[in-house]
This record gives sequence, C-alpha cells and structure tokens, in this order.
Amino acid sequence: MTFTIVHLLPELLGTYGDRGNVEILSWRLKAREVPHEVVSIGVGDSIPTSADLYLIGGGEDDAQIAALEILGKKDSLRIALREGAHFFAVCAGFQILGTQFPASGDRIVQGLGLVGIETVSAKHRSVGEILSRPTVPIEMLTGFENHGGQTRFLDDLQPLGYVLSGIGNGQGSNVDGLVTSQIVATYMHGPAFARNPELADWILSRKLGVLPSLSAPIFNQLHDERVSKTK
Amino acid sequence: MKLRLIIGIASFFGAISRLTKRGSGVMVTGRIILRMQPDAVSALSKNRKVILVSGTNGKTTTTSLIFSALSINSNVVSNYTGANLFAGLAAALSKNLSAPMAVLEVDEMVMAWAIKQTNPEMVVLLNLGRDQLDRLSEVRFVAQKWKDALATLPKQCLILADADDPFVVWAALDWNNVLWFSSGACGHIDASTCPSCGVILQWSQDKTHYSCRCGFAKPNAQWVLSADELRGHQGQAVKVVSGIPGRAALSNAARAVVVASYFGVSLQDSLAAIAKVTSVDGRFGKLKIGNTDFRLLLSKNPASWRETLATSASGPKCVLLVVNANTQDGKDTSWLWDVDFAPLKQRYVVVTGDRRLDVSARLTVNEIAHHLVANENAAATLLGEVEADLIASYTAFHRLAKSVSR
Repeated sequence: MTFTIVHLLPELLGTYGDRGNVEILSWRLKAREVPHEVVSIGVGDSIPTSADLYLIGGGEDDAQIAALEILGKKDSLRIALREGAHFFAVCAGFQILGTQFPASGDRIVQGLGLVGIETVSAKHRSVGEILSRPTVPIEMLTGFENHGGQTRFLDDLQPLGYVLSGIGNGQGSNVDGLVTSQIVATYMHGPAFARNPELADWILSRKLGVLPSLSAPIFNQLHDERVSKTK
Repeated sequence: MKLRLIIGIASFFGAISRLTKRGSGVMVTGRIILRMQPDAVSALSKNRKVILVSGTNGKTTTTSLIFSALSINSNVVSNYTGANLFAGLAAALSKNLSAPMAVLEVDEMVMAWAIKQTNPEMVVLLNLGRDQLDRLSEVRFVAQKWKDALATLPKQCLILADADDPFVVWAALDWNNVLWFSSGACGHIDASTCPSCGVILQWSQDKTHYSCRCGFAKPNAQWVLSADELRGHQGQAVKVVSGIPGRAALSNAARAVVVASYFGVSLQDSLAAIAKVTSVDGRFGKLKIGNTDFRLLLSKNPASWRETLATSASGPKCVLLVVNANTQDGKDTSWLWDVDFAPLKQRYVVVTGDRRLDVSARLTVNEIAHHLVANENAAATLLGEVEADLIASYTAFHRLAKSVSR
C-alpha cells in the first residue's frame, strides 16, 4: 500500500522553508523503501480526503487568509480527519486549525475549528531559537520560531512540548504546539523535521507502525548541535 | 560646529580605525558625523543630484555600475561598498563635497529616512523577496514601508522600478512619475497573493505576467531587457555587456545604463564603462587559500542562491559553500530548504561555515554528495591545486572579501 502525503498549498503556506518537511519525510520513507507518494495541492486543486498525512506550513497574513478560504471549502480536512488522516501543522497552519486567529488591521478571522484552540495577537513578535521537552516519547525538540500570535487551548489539550527556551504558544503557558490522536502542531517553523528526526519518525510511525531503523547521522548531529547551542 | 570641521574630525577617527585594522573606517566616520550633526545627510545632499538604489538583491552591484556610468561625465560620491545604513550614507556623502552627484545604496528598511534626508532626483527599486526573516520583516510589510516612504518623495523625482516584481509595482504604482523596467523574470516565490487586496494573484502560464481581479496588474515596461538586448520606449536599442557574470548582473547593468541616460550619459558610453567592471566589493573576486584558486560569490537568501547557483554552473567543477547564521546573515537557516541545490549535482561540493550541519542536512535530502570540513583552510587542503567557486553567506563573504586580490 502506498503511503500518501499531501502538502497543502505550498505557494501560500511555505514562507519559512516549509517544503523541507515534506522533502524530509519523503527522503526518510524512500531510504526505508516504504512505498509512498507526495501530492502537492495548489490553489486551484481539489483537496483529497483519503490521504494518510497532511502537512500545512506557515505564511504571511494575506496568504493565511487565502489558504483558509481554500481549505475550508467542502469541509475536506474535516472529512479527511474523520477518515483517519493525520496532520502536521506549523505556525500559520497551526493557527488555521483553531477557532480564530488575528490578521492585519486588527481583524479576527474564524479558523477551521478542527481543534479547540484560539490565537490572538501578541504584543511582541516571538522570534528566535526554541527548545522544548516533548510530551511524547522522543528526544528534546529544537526549532526556530517567528510568529506574532499567541495560541491558547480552549479544551483540555496536550501540548507537543514544554518550552525550556523560547516562547511557543505564549501567554505564559510555557508550552509549544499540541498533540491529539491525529494532529501534531508546532510553532517550530520551517523544516522542523531536519532538526528533529525522531519527531519525523514518530509522526510516520503513528500511521505506519514500527519503522525499520535508518542510519542518517547528519540529522542527529544537527539536532544535538542545535540543542546544545540553545541550552 | 561647521560641517566641514565635523567631517575632518570624523575622517581622522575613520583613518585611525582603518590604519589600526579595526575596520574600513566608513562606519566610524559616518557615526561620528551623525553624532555631531544629526541632520548631516540632509545638509550634505543639498545642491546635489541624489539617486537612491534599494531592493533585496543587487543593490551593491547596481549602485557600483551606476557610479561607473555617471563618473564618465561628473564627479560622483557613492557607498558602493555596501554600507547602506545611516552611517554609511553619511560617510559616502562626506567624501567629496564638491561632487554634484551621489548614488547611494539604501537598506530596504532605511528608505523612508533616506528619502526624507536626501530629496532624491531618482529612486531605483530592484526587487523585494524573503530575506533574513528573523531580522527584517515579511515581504508585504517591507513593501508597505516602501509605499509609505515613496509617497513622501519630492514631486520631480523619477522612479525606475521593476515591473516583474508585484511587490515593487504595488509599492511604486501610486507615484505619477515611474519608469517600469522588465528583464522578463518569471514568477515570484512570495507573490502568491495580491499585494494590493490579498486574494490569490493570477499568474500567466509562463509566469511572466500577473493580474488580479481588483485591477492590480503588471504594468507595461518602458525599458525591456530581452536576452542581452535593451530596448527603450523611444526606440532605443543596445546590446548590454556585463563584465560581471550572471543573468542578474546583466539585468543590473541594463538598469544602470537606463539610469545614467537620464543624467546625460549616452547608452554607448555607459555600456563601455560598465563592461569594464568585473568585480564589485569582492564579488567575483579572486582569492587564493592554500593551493586553491577561489572565485568569491555572495549569496544570502533563496533568490540570490538560485541566481548564484545558476551563474556558478558554468564555473569550475569544484565548489565550496560557506554558510553562517550571524545577525547579518539572519539567524534562521530555514531558507536553505527554499533553495533547490540540484545544480550542484555532478560537481565536487565541499561545505563549511558555522551552520555547515544545516547545509549538510539540506544537501543530503537534495541528494547532493558533499564533504564537510571545519573551515576554508581545510577545504583548500582537500581541494588542492584547482580552481573552485566559493559561495559564501554575508558574514563569511565579507571576511573573505578582505583578502580578495584587487
């Protein structure tokens, strides 16, 4: 069976090298000889509802709103979730999944409402290295954040990590992102999977089961270097 | 205190900085001038024709080429070594007080201040793209800053703006005295939505034209560079020859020719002067480390990496990449994943710099075989007696450019 990864709207939600996450997942699957395909969904394409994993990246305000309009059509993502799909959402993509997020001109925009979170404008932009202790059984998480929103949980949700350095979701929560049975989200933008190979494999294994081991020491070296520089 | 005396004092300390090898002395000179007379840039711009050049990529090269062309007919001052913030502008303008013209490279975020201070005769807007997003801002925000700044231009000011870049067009289109320039650039990584209204921007199949239902669209260009032929709206047609390699350099050379023509320099004279410029502030300069003869190239964001990789493709087989993430480079290396390094396939690739592990991870996924080494000396030892391109990010480039043979 072919494992299908859908990359949602890379032209709109890809400001911070987000396509790297897709490339890395594909590379890790290829190295393990796991049959897979990557479907890149552009602005005019219809969104499949039967894929295994959906990736949503980060973007600027206008692009985030334009993406929301497209993603909200036909309730495709809600249907995909119901069908058992998994999601990995970053930054603007994370915010879109919630009930609301801020836009330029002090506007508040209604999100997709797929998870119980809401995002408001932060007084100061959160920019810099972020280090967090994961709530799932993987090694320390390292990334770079650059966002003007603060996200709070409206439901009793599990964060992805407890922030040791950086801001993450903000509002004094000291947490980053969230984890549900099907969704993983984070403010670690860009290619979070480059620095966090265990996060990449953990997300894949939630859908694929135990994966064969993979020797790719450069990603572990990069992870260890960034963790030690951020501590 | 008289401005001439202030400049004398500042230049003295600048010379000490240079002689003691603390720096070029430019920033020291400029900072002292501004400290002693905060409106010095305004005072030094009076009775001068000032041209401002800004954009994400190509500022230094374009400024230098305009300087070369204008220098045929006039004394010109310029900051073409890339010091494009407040102090750099002050230092440049203080160099030759009798020079009637100034061509100044300006950081994108300093445009509002520079316009207010210098009352320019002409503004050259090159391009806007993602660059050091941790330090600067997202592209639409920078374009808005430009738009606001351009609204304060003196009435007679002429803008030469890039018609291929939707952000540049949006920033400049309210001005009534714009010359549009097109080099036929295709698409724009950051312009998937309309800068004017925010909905999806419609691009033609070949990505050379864009329009939006709100009415925003690519304007017709008065100056068009097609291959190496530059055509003007009054029937002008010349072949552009650049001494600096690459498509971007050719396009910048064409812009410089156009700018100079509005200040009385013939296209032919400009072209002859520009063709002689083969290196700007270390770019494409020669550098020997160990037994390896390097050609030094600067690359600092996805757009410039794409351009540099394309230019380097016709260069030597060996290539050394040096990537740092200091403040001036941008501390976030996510942009590496916006660059397709496939043009490096079949080449002998060596990687170093503070963030060599980030580069190595990127190249691994891009399936580019490469060698990781601790520094440039180790790279030279590995490469041996060959010619190689050395593509460096900002801080590494400027450190290495000091050793370029001039």
